[in-house]
Amino acid sequence: MKKAFVAALLIITAIPLLIGVAALPPHGETTAPVHTHISARYLMRGAEEAGADNIVTGVLLNYRGLDTAGEVTVIFTALVAGLAVLITRRKEPGAKADSAARGDVPAPPPVSPVVSFVVQLLAPFIALFAVYVILNGHVTPGGGFQGGAILGALFIALTIVLGEGRTRSLMPRLALPWMQGAALISFVVVGVLGAGLTGYFLGFPAEASLHLVRELMMLVLEAGIGLGGAAIFATLFLQMEAE
Amino acid sequence: MSVTFDILLLLFLITTALAVARAKDLLAAAIIFSSYSLVMCLLWQHRGAPDVAMTEAAVGAGITTVLFLVAIARTTRREK
Amino acid sequence: MLQALWDNLDYVAPVVLFCIGLYIIIAKNNLIKKFLGLNIMETAVFSFIIALGVVDGGDAPIMGADARAPFASPVPQALVLTGIVVAVSTTALALSLIIRIYRQCGTIEADELREME
Repeated sequence: MKKAFVAALLIITAIPLLIGVAALPPHGETTAPVHTHISARYLMRGAEEAGADNIVTGVLLNYRGLDTAGEVTVIFTALVAGLAVLITRRKEPGAKADSAARGDVPAPPPVSPVVSFVVQLLAPFIALFAVYVILNGHVTPGGGFQGGAILGALFIALTIVLGEGRTRSLMPRLALPWMQGAALISFVVVGVLGAGLTGYFLGFPAEASLHLVRELMMLVLEAGIGLGGAAIFATLFLQMEAE
Repeated sequence: MSVTFDILLLLFLITTALAVARAKDLLAAAIIFSSYSLVMCLLWQHRGAPDVAMTEAAVGAGITTVLFLVAIARTTRREK
Repeated sequence: MLQALWDNLDYVAPVVLFCIGLYIIIAKNNLIKKFLGLNIMETAVFSFIIALGVVDGGDAPIMGADARAPFASPVPQALVLTGIVVAVSTTALALSLIIRIYRQCGTIEADELREME
């Protein structure tokens, strides 16, 4: 009974989708609507207008900056909601702080020595690559979010290998909220700066004389998104992992 | 050549998606999903979207899989 | 019709993946499995949007000294980048909720949870 229902539902979903897909303009042709409206303009003038050789980064940070601000808010809200859901007993964090104050580091979980050695050996290079991806995002593929995800993954790998006690020091208690909010804060700072320069929130100056200012604003946004993303992923992982 | 490569990748994607649906072991399903993400990232790189491919490799195959693994470790591994 | 579908193969494959994801969500009882299915649906939609922006023989939309036209459309790619971030946020929140449900109820099977009410 249930199987028949599922099959019927899938067929009802698939047939209209397939009919619609068959009627789309042929794949890969430049005359399709996707390529003729704003895309053409972005490609023609994006590099000089937005100040980024990588047009995708230009669209994300400059033309569609408010969208990206919304995206940053979504991921921050996910962090807040996740923390609110997972905090159950108030005693636990306090107990942990006591043992940390006494200086006894919890023993790291058993990991294969090969894995442990390789992760520690590669860690500086992975971190360097993440910083490269973040700071070079307007020229090569990459950007704040990609680099942030790499940094967060590096933190998670180190936590698994070394144990939570030794990687905690990478996220000091006082700086942690600022790191988690770094993306939002950088958007507010750059947005207000843009409002002062151009009259629009998150507006980027287009004059050639202010080229360096524009570049700096983009770098601040990228660095903020990267740091914020990494801190948010790391915190979510630690919170889900804690029993 | 290019079309053949595309079709191979798409076939792999469909096979891995079906394998996720069939696997009773959630850990296996999560790992298969990770390989699905990685092949998806190859496909996007092939289609001229290196930014998206990089994001998918870091987020889809990395962070999402780790979060699934943690969730499986904190709940149950077998699907009933 | 079949010829059109064969020409648009890059659009048909996401439809198939979307249906597989939908099947997992409807037919499976385990909550983690359901979210694996939701992730498959999400990547299928992203893959469809990326395929829309492809140009035959096109390059990645990155300008530079040796860049030459045609380029793939940058707008779908920027949209999908935002979408991936939102997808991982929803997954993280959902998995947090699932862990909480397991602590509270001791099971993550949808039918067993329904019986508990």
